Amino acid sequence: MHGERALYCIFGVATALTALLILYPAYHALELSFQDLDSFISEPVWIGFGNYIDVLNMPEFWNALGRGLIFSGTTITLQVVLGIGFAMLLDTTIPAKPLVRGIAVLPYLLPTIIVALTFQWMLDSTVGVFTQGARLFGYSYIPWGENGGVAMTVVILLSVWIWTPFVTLAFLAGLQAVPGELYEAARVDGASAWQRFWHITLPQLRPVLTVVLLLRAIWMFNKFDIIWLTTRGGPLQATEHLPILAYRKTFELYEVGQGAAVSAISFVILSAFILVYFYFFPLDEKE
Amino acid sequence: MSKLTDKNRKLLSGTAGSSRRTVIKGLGAAAGAAAIGLHAPFVHSADKTIRFLNGEPSAESVRAMRFAAAQYEKETGTKVQMDTVPAGKAYEKVQASIKSGRPYDIATLIFVGDVLILAGEGKLVPINDIIKKYDWGPRILFPMKGDNFWYPYDYNLCWINCRQDLYDAKGLKAPGDWAGMMSNLGALQGDGDGQLPYGIVHPIGSNGATNYTAFGYMWANGVHLFDDNWKVVLDSPEIAAKAGEYLDFMAEMTKYMPPAPAQAGWPNLVGDFQTDKISHTPGTGRLIDTMNVRMPDRAANVGAFLFPSKGGESFAVNHGYDGWVVLDTAMSDEALRFLEWFSDEHLINFLHTSPVHYQPTRLDIYEDPRWQAHPALEQFKRITDMQKQVLSDKKIIIRSIDTEGPEPDVRAGKVFRSYALPEMLQNKILKGMSNADCITTAANKIREIAAG
Repeated sequence: MHGERALYCIFGVATALTALLILYPAYHALELSFQDLDSFISEPVWIGFGNYIDVLNMPEFWNALGRGLIFSGTTITLQVVLGIGFAMLLDTTIPAKPLVRGIAVLPYLLPTIIVALTFQWMLDSTVGVFTQGARLFGYSYIPWGENGGVAMTVVILLSVWIWTPFVTLAFLAGLQAVPGELYEAARVDGASAWQRFWHITLPQLRPVLTVVLLLRAIWMFNKFDIIWLTTRGGPLQATEHLPILAYRKTFELYEVGQGAAVSAISFVILSAFILVYFYFFPLDEKE
Repeated sequence: MSKLTDKNRKLLSGTAGSSRRTVIKGLGAAAGAAAIGLHAPFVHSADKTIRFLNGEPSAESVRAMRFAAAQYEKETGTKVQMDTVPAGKAYEKVQASIKSGRPYDIATLIFVGDVLILAGEGKLVPINDIIKKYDWGPRILFPMKGDNFWYPYDYNLCWINCRQDLYDAKGLKAPGDWAGMMSNLGALQGDGDGQLPYGIVHPIGSNGATNYTAFGYMWANGVHLFDDNWKVVLDSPEIAAKAGEYLDFMAEMTKYMPPAPAQAGWPNLVGDFQTDKISHTPGTGRLIDTMNVRMPDRAANVGAFLFPSKGGESFAVNHGYDGWVVLDTAMSDEALRFLEWFSDEHLINFLHTSPVHYQPTRLDIYEDPRWQAHPALEQFKRITDMQKQVLSDKKIIIRSIDTEGPEPDVRAGKVFRSYALPEMLQNKILKGMSNADCITTAANKIREIAAG
């Protein structure tokens, strides 16, 4: 009975914190999206779906959505493929395994601002180490500030570099749980390395893969910091996706309502994705 | 009696020949004065605190502000509690403080648009009486319907800094027009004696550095964005021709810039100049103040000139004013008293924390011996003379994107933050679009923004 009361207490605190820190801000953002106001202290004017209509009629919204899908789709794919690869590599017998595993996680431990600033200087058009390297091959510099495609490639690669270790760790943990007997039996049956991966490793990792894909999809679709700190959405909006568009509308262009509407639409898109995802890849397959 | 000051004791000692009544009266007066002088601040300090949001985060500025706050508390008993944020984040912090129910009493703001929104929502109190006390320089007050809501303390004028030692060695003079500018850049670029790898850096990306440092030539050439009725005139035949000349000039100047100007930002403007990569850099006196601390010999070699127009008929600077506002709170009256006191007693100390950079907005300060006493102002007299000239010479244009238009208006602030003009530059330099297309695209974007 005593333990039960403690449980209710913890549940109560957790619910209160969720309501205070997540539900209320989400509700407030939704409320703002139906109002016309140019600052957070302005007298709000209720305009119904006016902001949504405006936003959905803006080409920059659709462009930002497209860029967000490209950014998140590419980064997730690369992170998962590389993450599985690194996890399998780190699961083999390699010298100084603990040290190598520690180094492999390092990018994930670095603050994003440090990564962004460091790479900016590494890519600097005059003194950057990549620029010096490019010169060896006859190129002048990497035009990440001039060329939209290059800028998008740079933020994608940076994101992959930072967050692949998370995927690696998750899969490495999953691999530890795969019974070795399965591989031994497969070897006895003459299965090739590829067949062992495809028919044993991947199915065994499926629960991990399902969760990792979902988390990465949510995080990368909403990822703001690395793009903002590296390119601020430029050049010429080439890396501006929905979170950056929402930020610019809200905090730079004095259009708080429209910024909130962009965020709300982004939330709806992500929620729809999660529902569809769970329909095809349910976490609980016992039924 | 123990509370009597030395002055009061002297008063008592001088009463030997007086009557008892006089002595008692004197004692009473002295005790009263002592009580007012010593006790009153403690009584008031119990509940009088001004909350001040400082937007100048340099160590020297914070130290000067804290010193002033301590002095004010000592003199009046009112505590000044100071929070410091980067100037660019101050507006968000002010909004948050208002929404949370604990607004700051005084805050630093760096955009007129922000001031206008706060004033429009009735969150600010006018500071007309303080403003009226002083003479102010041109294009700095931005009154709203006759009321002044902010106290500007810094012009933040952007001009072109250059290597004066290289100019002297080559016998060059400050350029009077664009041809002269190109000629000087060419003369100082190379790997020979007295030459550096590049001539100048002008950021062209969608960022504040571009908005602030890239358009001085355009203002000098007579371009403006709106007419007197807020109609966008950037693509009108007369203005478009001048804007087109500016775009051609900037595109041509890229041959004197380090590669990738779209990647350049604040660090390049300062760093490339300090590390001998470029001979010119747009900026303020902050560059000189910084160099004067870290590399005084090099700071002595910095020269400066204004942005010229194409033919040299006029010159311009881009301004980036900073100021304080007083919010409508229970402590507004105290905050106004503090602002006035600070303005009279400590503003000059504050300006001295970056003496060349903090160009006074009040004309009386230029004549104030306290301000003149700073050695850096004498050392860099050629720079401060130029600063004064900007304020007195009617032919010199002082403009900024966010103060464009016939009157202070949030629309200009939106244009600033939309990066419509940096994008015009990018379309020209990165995409190679025609001048007409660049200008039309920018003008249409400005129209869209101005329409709200």
